[in-house]
Amino acid sequence: MGTAPSFAAQTPRDNRLIAALPEEDYQALLPLLDPVSLPLGMALYESGGVQGYVYFPTSSIVSLLYVLEDGSSAEIAVTGCEGLVGIALFMGGETTPSRAVVQSAGHGYRIKAAALKTKFEAGGALQLLLLRFTQALITQMTQTAVCNRHHAVDQQLCRWLLLSLDRLPANDLVMTQELIANMLGVRREGVTEAAGKLQADGLIEYTRGHITVLDRPKLEARVCECYAVVKKEYDRLLPSAELHGA
Amino acid sequence: MLAALPAKANRRFLSALTRVDLPLGQVLYQPGTTSRHVYFPNDCTVSLVAIADQSTGLEVGLVGRESMIGIPLALGISTSPVRALVQGGGSAMRMTSARFGRELKHNRPLRRELHRCAYVAMATAMQTAVCNKAHVLEARLARWLLMTRDRAASDRFQCTQEAIALMLGVRRSGVTEAASGLQRRKLIRYSRGAMQILDRDGLLAVSCSCYGTIRELERTDGMGLAA
Repeated sequence: MGTAPSFAAQTPRDNRLIAALPEEDYQALLPLLDPVSLPLGMALYESGGVQGYVYFPTSSIVSLLYVLEDGSSAEIAVTGCEGLVGIALFMGGETTPSRAVVQSAGHGYRIKAAALKTKFEAGGALQLLLLRFTQALITQMTQTAVCNRHHAVDQQLCRWLLLSLDRLPANDLVMTQELIANMLGVRREGVTEAAGKLQADGLIEYTRGHITVLDRPKLEARVCECYAVVKKEYDRLLPSAELHGA
Repeated sequence: MLAALPAKANRRFLSALTRVDLPLGQVLYQPGTTSRHVYFPNDCTVSLVAIADQSTGLEVGLVGRESMIGIPLALGISTSPVRALVQGGGSAMRMTSARFGRELKHNRPLRRELHRCAYVAMATAMQTAVCNKAHVLEARLARWLLMTRDRAASDRFQCTQEAIALMLGVRRSGVTEAASGLQRRKLIRYSRGAMQILDRDGLLAVSCSCYGTIRELERTDGMGLAA
């Protein structure tokens, strides 16, 4: 996705959590939401930092990276239009332990942390939705952890591509190999090799920072079970969870 | 964890709990199946294991008296994404999922406390995920031993090499080698499934920083572990 859709084209309901709110709750939330542009590489939170806002992506993808004391990091989850970024806030964490970085440019909405917290504590449909999303996110994180440990880099790359594509309206991603290496927590050469394999087999095309998926069914055949585990849980837990790629 | 609740809310809740013995190796939850009970450990420890390809896995959480088993239920979900496996035998208090759901509805302090437990559990899972990727086995084994010791509140506990291998997502032979290294330096004594920590400070020096990070996370979020 080279160019992000314009502001005018989006509404808060492009985010599936917001879209699932009953009309009354939606109207109450609406004045608190501000549209925001999310450029590639922008950090929404730094690890250990205090969160000023919670973000609801509409056409962008945000990567949650966990950073260790020695500086090494790995991606633990991706969130797009199906969710929100900043759950630590309403789950009672003082600060966020992960770094949140825009992985695919686009737009979203943001709400002041204090305002969302008040709405969450009031209970009702919003609280229920956010807790269900939290559980889906936990599933993605734990499956990513076990996948990173046991599966080959090209399978991990397939998982990562499919999870990302499900959260985007388009069929291609703007991505450098450094970024992918950073996401998967592997060396750059490992990514080059894995991407080369997928390209040679006709699954993807990779040129100058653009990855285009050519054959999604083949990608789904190649990926480890981890993709299906995560997808199934999101479909089950989240409202109208028919993601773009479904 | 239950001790942190206000007395009045607590009394009602406690009356719905029954004591149950949980022997080493018992499986409390399987991924994707409905959880019939929630558990609050007294002196047992329970591993949360993410499963891949049916046989291999990775521990993404280690729960003792500071938290509960059944976090998804606290979020309104009736199935667990992970296997919950008793790692250190002991007892726990349990309650049916249905009753727990009802209790949760009109117990705001409990709800808030459990959301915080869920958050800490998630942060621990993240830390563990990255640790497993970034750090050498010996450091990870030391971290795991220290975490287990805290939750068991004892320098001695039972654990098989197979179990440790599953937890750390490595082969058994790797665990044997790493454990021998720690034993040679007199940090632990290990024979036939019985683990004894001889030198906690020594283990701390070997462990990666993740142990301290997880502890800090639990402390700042108000969860009490043995010193």
